[in-house]
Amino acid sequence: MGLLRSSLSNIRTSPRLLKAPPYISLLCFLGGIIWILLLPLDEYSRRTYISENALLPGQVHTYFHGTEQNIFRAYRHEVAEVLEVQEHVQQDGSKAYMKATPQHRNQRIRDLFGNSGIKSAVQSYKYTVGGQDFEGENVYGVVHAPRGDGTESIVIVAPVENFEGQLNTDGVTLLLTLARYFSRWSLWSKDIILLVTPDTSTGPQAWIDAYLSQHDPEMVASLSLKSGAIQGVICIDFPFRHSFHALHISYDGINGQLPNLDLINTATQISAGQLGIPTLLQSQHLYAKPEAQHHYLNRLKVLGHGMRNQAVGHSTGAHSVFMPYHIDAITLTAVGDGREDEMAFGRVVESLTRSLNNLLEKLHQSFFFYLLLQNNRFVSIGTYLPSAMAVGAGFSVMAIYLWIKSGYEQREEKDQQHTKATEHDNGQRDRTEAALADASITNEQLFNTESAGGIDLARRKVWKPIDRPLVLPLTLIAGLYLTSLIPLAILVTAQKGALLTRTGSLCSVLIMVPIGLTFVLSNNPKLLHGTYFDGAPLEKQGNGAPRETGLVHSDLSPPSDSKTRVLQFHTILKSLSLLVLGLELTVLATLNFSLSMFLGVLCTPLCFAGFYKDSSSRAVASLVAVVLFNPFVVANAATLAAKLAGYYDGSVGLTDVLRIWLEAVSFGWRVHGAYGVPVGVFCVWLPAWTVATLGTVSSFVMDEEGKVEKRVEKVKGIAKDNLTQVKQAAQRRSSPSPARKRKK
Amino acid sequence: MHLKSAIFWAVALLLPAIQCVHTSNWAVLVSTSRFWFNYRHLSNTLSLYRTVKRLGIPDSQILLLLPDDMACNPRNAFPGTVYSNADRHMDLYGENVEVDYRGYEVTVENFIRLLTDRWEEGVPSSKRLMTDEGSNILIYMTGHGGNEFLKFQDSEEISSWDLADAFSQMREKKRYNEMLFMIDTCQANTLYRQFYADGMIATGSSEEDESSYSHHADNDVGVAVIDRWTYYVLQFLENEVTSLQSEKTLGDLFDSYDVEKIHSRPGVRWDLFPGGEEAGRNRRVVDFFGNVQGVEVQDQNSKDSLREDLESLMRLVKDYEDFAAAQEKNKTMMHDAMSQRGIVQKLQVQQQNQQKAVGSMRLKKENLSVRQITGVALLAGLGGLWYLGSKVVI
Repeated sequence: MGLLRSSLSNIRTSPRLLKAPPYISLLCFLGGIIWILLLPLDEYSRRTYISENALLPGQVHTYFHGTEQNIFRAYRHEVAEVLEVQEHVQQDGSKAYMKATPQHRNQRIRDLFGNSGIKSAVQSYKYTVGGQDFEGENVYGVVHAPRGDGTESIVIVAPVENFEGQLNTDGVTLLLTLARYFSRWSLWSKDIILLVTPDTSTGPQAWIDAYLSQHDPEMVASLSLKSGAIQGVICIDFPFRHSFHALHISYDGINGQLPNLDLINTATQISAGQLGIPTLLQSQHLYAKPEAQHHYLNRLKVLGHGMRNQAVGHSTGAHSVFMPYHIDAITLTAVGDGREDEMAFGRVVESLTRSLNNLLEKLHQSFFFYLLLQNNRFVSIGTYLPSAMAVGAGFSVMAIYLWIKSGYEQREEKDQQHTKATEHDNGQRDRTEAALADASITNEQLFNTESAGGIDLARRKVWKPIDRPLVLPLTLIAGLYLTSLIPLAILVTAQKGALLTRTGSLCSVLIMVPIGLTFVLSNNPKLLHGTYFDGAPLEKQGNGAPRETGLVHSDLSPPSDSKTRVLQFHTILKSLSLLVLGLELTVLATLNFSLSMFLGVLCTPLCFAGFYKDSSSRAVASLVAVVLFNPFVVANAATLAAKLAGYYDGSVGLTDVLRIWLEAVSFGWRVHGAYGVPVGVFCVWLPAWTVATLGTVSSFVMDEEGKVEKRVEKVKGIAKDNLTQVKQAAQRRSSPSPARKRKK
Repeated sequence: MHLKSAIFWAVALLLPAIQCVHTSNWAVLVSTSRFWFNYRHLSNTLSLYRTVKRLGIPDSQILLLLPDDMACNPRNAFPGTVYSNADRHMDLYGENVEVDYRGYEVTVENFIRLLTDRWEEGVPSSKRLMTDEGSNILIYMTGHGGNEFLKFQDSEEISSWDLADAFSQMREKKRYNEMLFMIDTCQANTLYRQFYADGMIATGSSEEDESSYSHHADNDVGVAVIDRWTYYVLQFLENEVTSLQSEKTLGDLFDSYDVEKIHSRPGVRWDLFPGGEEAGRNRRVVDFFGNVQGVEVQDQNSKDSLREDLESLMRLVKDYEDFAAAQEKNKTMMHDAMSQRGIVQKLQVQQQNQQKAVGSMRLKKENLSVRQITGVALLAGLGGLWYLGSKVVI
């Protein structure tokens, strides 16, 4: 037992092992990233399959063809009149171009619903975000299931303008034609709600909020017509008039939530399997040829697009707003030029609706956490989560390493003295520290054997446990995290016009925070050193005598010199910051994997940046890291990258891109409740960056030993005064202090 | 004398015709699954129901257990109907379906109660399996199962041990003569693995670790409408067993299994059947699927008892003749004629014997003898009164 124990503590205190954690942490980061890169391989991904027995995808004949096409054409004529810009010849012969008002448009749609015998209603809403109004009116009809009980429903949505801002005339027409067609079937077990919204973001949000009575009546009107619990949502997006080639399935929801994988699989099986229309994901048609979709790079791109959408957590279509309510939704978009006509699109929706109609309970069998690589391949949470967890663990390993490191200092001592000291210590340490004291002995032995060659045995380096003052680091960390809510609040409440300027000033203030903190700390050594002082002079503190520090009773001595103290302060601060960061990222990984992964990767350099007083090259490297991995620098770099990648056309400048993004963040926060990016940046990334920068700047500023030492001398003087005061106070007191009592 | 001999010969001639030992046919047809996508389990069962009805088993002797109502499911494109074939030639639901257990009544408990006939009072006879030792029973089950279990309604399951024990209890209670157990589910053959009661033939659709598959889907109804094994069993019954006179045997039926078509390996278990496979194979299909009504002759195994029966029958005939002759003379009454031959005494002895066998329990012994004496005295007194009274009247 004893042998085992000593060998274990040997391992624990082996100098090689003590140097390992930073490498382990680096390995975690690299491992996490490599893991993600492996996912597109066949060995790590799986073929999709339908889990829910009730869906029976593609098992029904579809009858949406023939005469229905004539009705579609007639409806398109009616709908185009109120959706598209119309040419009017005025009395004087001149031509005027006019567009119908939303009220006129909705009345026409209601008329068409009414002609098919479908009850309909309208709902108006008005969101105000940053001084800008988003106003509109939804119109919807309900096909009541003739033999159903009306407790469940399926929603089909057609936004008037699609996500790209194109007019969705054929989509709306298809919805109306399907409404008429569906109302003639008697096999529905659920009501079918047909919703036409003005856009893809505010309209559906207002409607679903009101449907579930979660709306703010000030901004969104209540619904006059409702049905049962929504089992699934299909959004139709058909923004052109020619025949199409494939259907694109969008599925990313707000805050990276996803619909049940069964819904996507069902859509793919019906479209690609039953009806022979290829399905695409994540804008695949823009970068992957149909025959090359299974190639590693293309799969990686789909994965990357999916992770980006998930991390950003913003709306990607009308379907996105349903996900926070745990309603499964997808958008089907017609893309490309091919041989499939609007009736084929209609048949996909028909068959998909029949499948949803077969459901007996909410979709729950299949995955809610997955990454798609191709329309028939996916990675499940069990396979991909370890990567984000590894990244999170990288920070925790480093935090624990720094924490242990902060509790010891290396001292050179004479053999006899040291033995005495350790014996002395052993008698007084509490139980938890006793084990570490053992470590110090064995460590000493280890050094002993190592230095047996010829170095003076009387003097050796020994790791000695030291007291950790936590008041200042804890206060700083807590303060940083709490104050991180202020820039968050400032950004999301900004007016639209002031968004960019506010961000600019916010940026300069936030960059000054760590620098300012460094100067405050270095100019007020009492802040940094004061926590050690309990009245005893510095020299005496080194002898290991127990004493009372500011808040915590400790038997351990504080660091022996001011250099170690400064180092210890920065080590503890860094350790606490990384500990919180590691925790945040691991928790976030279960909520929004991609966001956690991106933040983790962006914070990785910050893990290694910090206070390097002894090595100027490291100090410079960490300075480079904190400059490069500042959220604002990264944001600007990202705008540049987006611009270069061609996401925005030439007329949009870099600042415009940033403005657009900031507006999107602000809009997402206010309307959709998309918290991912702002919270991730301000509450996870920024505090970590601030602490890393504080350390880095300190390693430059606090380099002047004399300055600090001088201050310490000054502080010693104050301490002596304090000591005399305390002594006087003690003499005045007649009764023994509680500390003395305890010693007995 | 003429009448006497006529009856004798009639009975004697009937004897060789009664080869088949069972006297009634019963069928218990169970679907165990709910939900629209399990449409085929309901249509499997209804198809079997149609077949046994076609072969003459009356509704009163068919117990049909259907947990869900596919005909009235809103998803059904053809309301009020159930089809087992995509050609939709015949509506299985039709107008004359008697469902004995429906919806949530189809539970494991009710099924076992039904088999063992352990009911509280007041359960209507339509819900009971009122079989006796002369009954041949066909049990057909279909649903979702696994290794030695079958799910009931997606909420509970019956195991092969439950079934085995229930059948053994039926055997003990002489509730059946022979039984054919058929099951169509995944890993069906495991369900009859634990059976130990005599007189059973069991057959299932698939081996352990094998799935049973559906045959085809109706793309207008939108679901699979029948399972493969049941489909081919029905095909055999439709094509080969066209009437009660069919001589097709169970051997023929089981030989018709084609693994290529069924996509799973069906199994048959003979070892519990008296005479084993040889005897079992020779049983006619209609012995289980049809309504073959034999005549039960008690103690028919011994010729002496038969002779005694015939003699007593002749005695009865003679008594009747004597009585008729006496009545013609208007001299005496039936009661007198019988007492002359001591038949009354015989009957009394028999009654006493019966009382001994199934007499109710006495609680107090002293009271018994006192009461008996009192009773005898009372009876003797009444008898005397009656005798005197009749004398006085005459």
